[in-house]
Amino acid sequence: MTPSLLLQGIGYPVLSVLVCLPLAGAGLALFVRSAPAVRWLAVAVTLLTLGASLPLYSSFDRTLPGFQFVEHRAWLPAAQFDYIVGVDGISVVLVLLTTLLMPLCVLCSWREVQERVQEFVVVLLLLEAALIGVFVSLNIVLFYLFWEGMLIPLYLLIALWGGPARNYASVKFFLYTFAGSIFLLFALLMLYVAAGSCSMPELLQQPLSYELQMLVFICCTVAFAVKTPLYPLHTWLPAAHVEAPTAGSVILAGILLKMGGYGFLRFCLGFAPAATREAAPVMMVCALAAILIGGLLALGQQDLKRLVAYSSVAHMGFVVLGIFLLSSRGMQASVLQMINHGISTGALFICIGMLYERTHSRLLADNSALGALMPRFVTLLTLCAFSSFGFPGTNGFIGEFLIIVAAFEKKWILGAGAVPGVLIAAAYMLRALQKIIWADRSPHHHPRETPPRMFSDIGLREVGILLVLVFFIILIGLQPSVVLDLTRASVESLANRVAGAGR
Amino acid sequence: MTTELLVSHPSIPFVVGALLMWFVRTVRLRQAVLVAVPLVALMQLSHLPDTAGTFTYLGLALQPLRVDSLSFLFLHVFCIMALIGFVYSLHVLNPGTHGAALLYVAGSLGVTLSGDYVTLFVFWELMAVASTFLIWLQPTRTARDAGLRYFLVHSAGGLALLCGIILRYLETGDLAVVQVVPATAGLADYLIMAGFMLNAAVPPLHAWLADAYPEATITGAVFLCAFTTKTAVYALCRVFPGFDVLAVWGACMALYGVCYAIVENNSRRILSYHIISQVGYMVCGIGIGTDLGVSGACAHAYAHIIYKALLFMGVGCVLEMTGRQKLTELGGLYRSMPWALVFTVIGGISISGFPLTSGFVSKSMVTAAAAEAHCSGILLLLMLASVGTFLSVGIKLPYCIWFREPVEKAPLQTRQAPWNMYLAMAIAGFFCFFIGCSPDWLYRLLPRHAAYHPYTASHVSETLQLLGFTGLGFYLLARKLAPHDTLQLDLDWVYRRAAAVLQHWCRARAQQYDEKLGELYATRGLHHFMGVARRCATYDIERIDRFVDGIAQQVAGCGERIRNFHNGKIQHYIGAAMMLLFLVLGIIVYF
Repeated sequence: MTPSLLLQGIGYPVLSVLVCLPLAGAGLALFVRSAPAVRWLAVAVTLLTLGASLPLYSSFDRTLPGFQFVEHRAWLPAAQFDYIVGVDGISVVLVLLTTLLMPLCVLCSWREVQERVQEFVVVLLLLEAALIGVFVSLNIVLFYLFWEGMLIPLYLLIALWGGPARNYASVKFFLYTFAGSIFLLFALLMLYVAAGSCSMPELLQQPLSYELQMLVFICCTVAFAVKTPLYPLHTWLPAAHVEAPTAGSVILAGILLKMGGYGFLRFCLGFAPAATREAAPVMMVCALAAILIGGLLALGQQDLKRLVAYSSVAHMGFVVLGIFLLSSRGMQASVLQMINHGISTGALFICIGMLYERTHSRLLADNSALGALMPRFVTLLTLCAFSSFGFPGTNGFIGEFLIIVAAFEKKWILGAGAVPGVLIAAAYMLRALQKIIWADRSPHHHPRETPPRMFSDIGLREVGILLVLVFFIILIGLQPSVVLDLTRASVESLANRVAGAGR
Repeated sequence: MTTELLVSHPSIPFVVGALLMWFVRTVRLRQAVLVAVPLVALMQLSHLPDTAGTFTYLGLALQPLRVDSLSFLFLHVFCIMALIGFVYSLHVLNPGTHGAALLYVAGSLGVTLSGDYVTLFVFWELMAVASTFLIWLQPTRTARDAGLRYFLVHSAGGLALLCGIILRYLETGDLAVVQVVPATAGLADYLIMAGFMLNAAVPPLHAWLADAYPEATITGAVFLCAFTTKTAVYALCRVFPGFDVLAVWGACMALYGVCYAIVENNSRRILSYHIISQVGYMVCGIGIGTDLGVSGACAHAYAHIIYKALLFMGVGCVLEMTGRQKLTELGGLYRSMPWALVFTVIGGISISGFPLTSGFVSKSMVTAAAAEAHCSGILLLLMLASVGTFLSVGIKLPYCIWFREPVEKAPLQTRQAPWNMYLAMAIAGFFCFFIGCSPDWLYRLLPRHAAYHPYTASHVSETLQLLGFTGLGFYLLARKLAPHDTLQLDLDWVYRRAAAVLQHWCRARAQQYDEKLGELYATRGLHHFMGVARRCATYDIERIDRFVDGIAQQVAGCGERIRNFHNGKIQHYIGAAMMLLFLVLGIIVYF
């Protein structure tokens, strides 16, 4: 393919800039030693990246289903590897989510990370570059490069700045996800050998044989099921979430898990549509199991971060269910649910981080009766929790509702199976809220004899972070078209592709 | 049209006055407002248009202002009564009482003027709510309970009225307040009649009156006695004249009230039962339906308002000064409260129908109508009621309060009542005599022209005979008629017992079951559910995670074993290399 640049009137290669800016920032941070300066540098770079990504929202053509802002440069002509980046409706919202969450991650780690701040900033910025790279790359090798490239910074994030069991958690996360990615590598190699090309647009146009599709599907599914995570391949998530620092948890829950969903949409549905159609019932059953069992697991938790981690399992179960309904509405809803989950779970982890900074404990028993002491915090926490279990008016409601409607349209029993998941979500969220805001009156609770506590309520920085997220919670909740408009065309073309694929 | 309505509707000054009570702080200004408002209303009366037109609201045709001779009569007496009542209550400092009374009168006037049932209902309920506050503003526990019962009963009556209105609208599509012919009356009309009858305190819907009026504030009772029942009488007069059932019922009601009044001990309760009795006359007159009957009922209403208010004011004076209203606790007040005695006696002779008082010229119209319609049974009942009235309130009440020696030997604490109370009583007393002496002034206002001349020889002599022998009877039976401090059971016993049983059932039984049901989710469901959740969590950690970690540990274990393989002995390395070579060759050869 001939190299080309489809800048669409922006004037600069926006996607490459988005990948390179954090890299440049990481490089610059290597030279800045003082902790305050490097923090401000991180804020500046992430805000600059956010600003550079805004044209993606405004100049995105909502009517075109194909890839936009495509940059095609020669890389390794001998192996037919080209540098191709581009976004379509599905990936543009994920890129925007990433650039939105990163400054908030930097801000929420302001006081939490006190040692090796310079290294922390470098790792964070490298991570951002890798995350954006995953979503924009249209070359499968480049995709894999960024996919694996994001593992090391995250491993470092957990291992160096994490909790007491950080060694165990970081190694488990790394090996588990890496093991899954091996299957992905195998699938990508098979694709390259069979189709002779690495670029995704070309691969999407080439029909593959059914056996190859099934093989690719199974391998990709294993990889993405580990990443999503889909029950029962989810056990790395609670450990990683509990031990990671706040910024790590936000990135993990907010963006990393979306890579699994994105992978399903791009690889399984894109390259193996016929196999997807065959295997969709199995995947939907797994998704339902994830919703229900993830919810049940969250219900019995005493550790707040573990609770939110299991709730992520349940939410991603909704996403996978929406994807494998193979209808346009279901897929759009699942992309929306990914964005919603990123925002609301990110907000919840930030809240838990604020709690941990004050009480130095993540247990519900130690974080109870805080309503009178921290009213502002508790208000914002409630809003984020309501969004998490899909309270009407918040973004979570729209996503879950649309998925359930699409499930009912497919088969009523799917919808009927998903609805208890919403109920369980409300149960564990409200239970946690009740214990945090008011005193814990359950028979299992034995309050420790501690002297009365005085905590400072959240200050300007923390309120600012949460208000940004709450703003989006309410905006998407009341006007979901800001996200749905972007995704509509691409999702519809993908749904048509899956529906029309021959056996 | 709206401005015309606002300017000419007499309820408006009262509503404005009620709002002013809220804002105006100085006492003198409040008193000025209280006196000014009924005067403004009286001025409006002289310039009332026949109607202020029809409004459409929510698709219903409303006519808030409709005046004819019937409503004009009642408006007239209501405004005069409002003036008397406010003069009587000038000394009260609590603006809430005044506000409630003003809204109460506004409601009454609104009902009288309404041309359609929706307006009527709105003002009806305004009357009910405002009058409840007149009872609740008395700070005793019994007043609180009585006020609640009053409100509940009136709400029930209002609901019956509303049902009737809605049914009538659904059947006929017409909301105008017009006369109903007895032959065509249906369920809707009888429901409306039931609503009116409850406010008119027709037995069996009468118990609220004797229950609530003795518990009201002193000035509040003066208002209460005048407006609710007479507004209902107006409504019955407007819609249901000529229903025979009303004639019979009214006559029984007249005797019923008197019988209870004779045995009562509480002075205001005696007067309350007399309200029932006198309203019975009015209802009877309406039921007879002839011109004389209806005119008689209206005239009687006019006169009754004034002399009943006078009686309540007199007894209220005693209550204000001594703090007591039970006949067994009072006595011998002629020395310390002579003026109250004079005015109460004026009221007493008016209600009994002495010549030269308003009762003589008005009550007898109803009995004459009964005689004219040849209803001898009704006539007999009404005569008996007259006897009982004079006995009870003309003789027994003043005797027991003022003349009889008190039971306790210690003198009662008394002081002089405020001057405005006496002024109000004087005005009312003046009207009693004025109407009695020149009845044409009242007869001119009557809606239907009926030629009636009260001062005939037969009438005067008949009345004097009746009253004289009643007096003789009292003198002979005075010991038997002495008051006893006992509780009389009236028909409200039935629903009060039923309410108590219902409350016990709700509190003890229904609440227990509801609590058990509400807790069911926690006792049965939640426990097991959380158990399932905990088992899931355990399975997750023990089985799944252990499996995954187990794989990693196995791999690490393999690595450990392979590491231990390096024991430095070269012969083991060569042997292993040879075996591996043979294995690889074998696989290559095989495949």
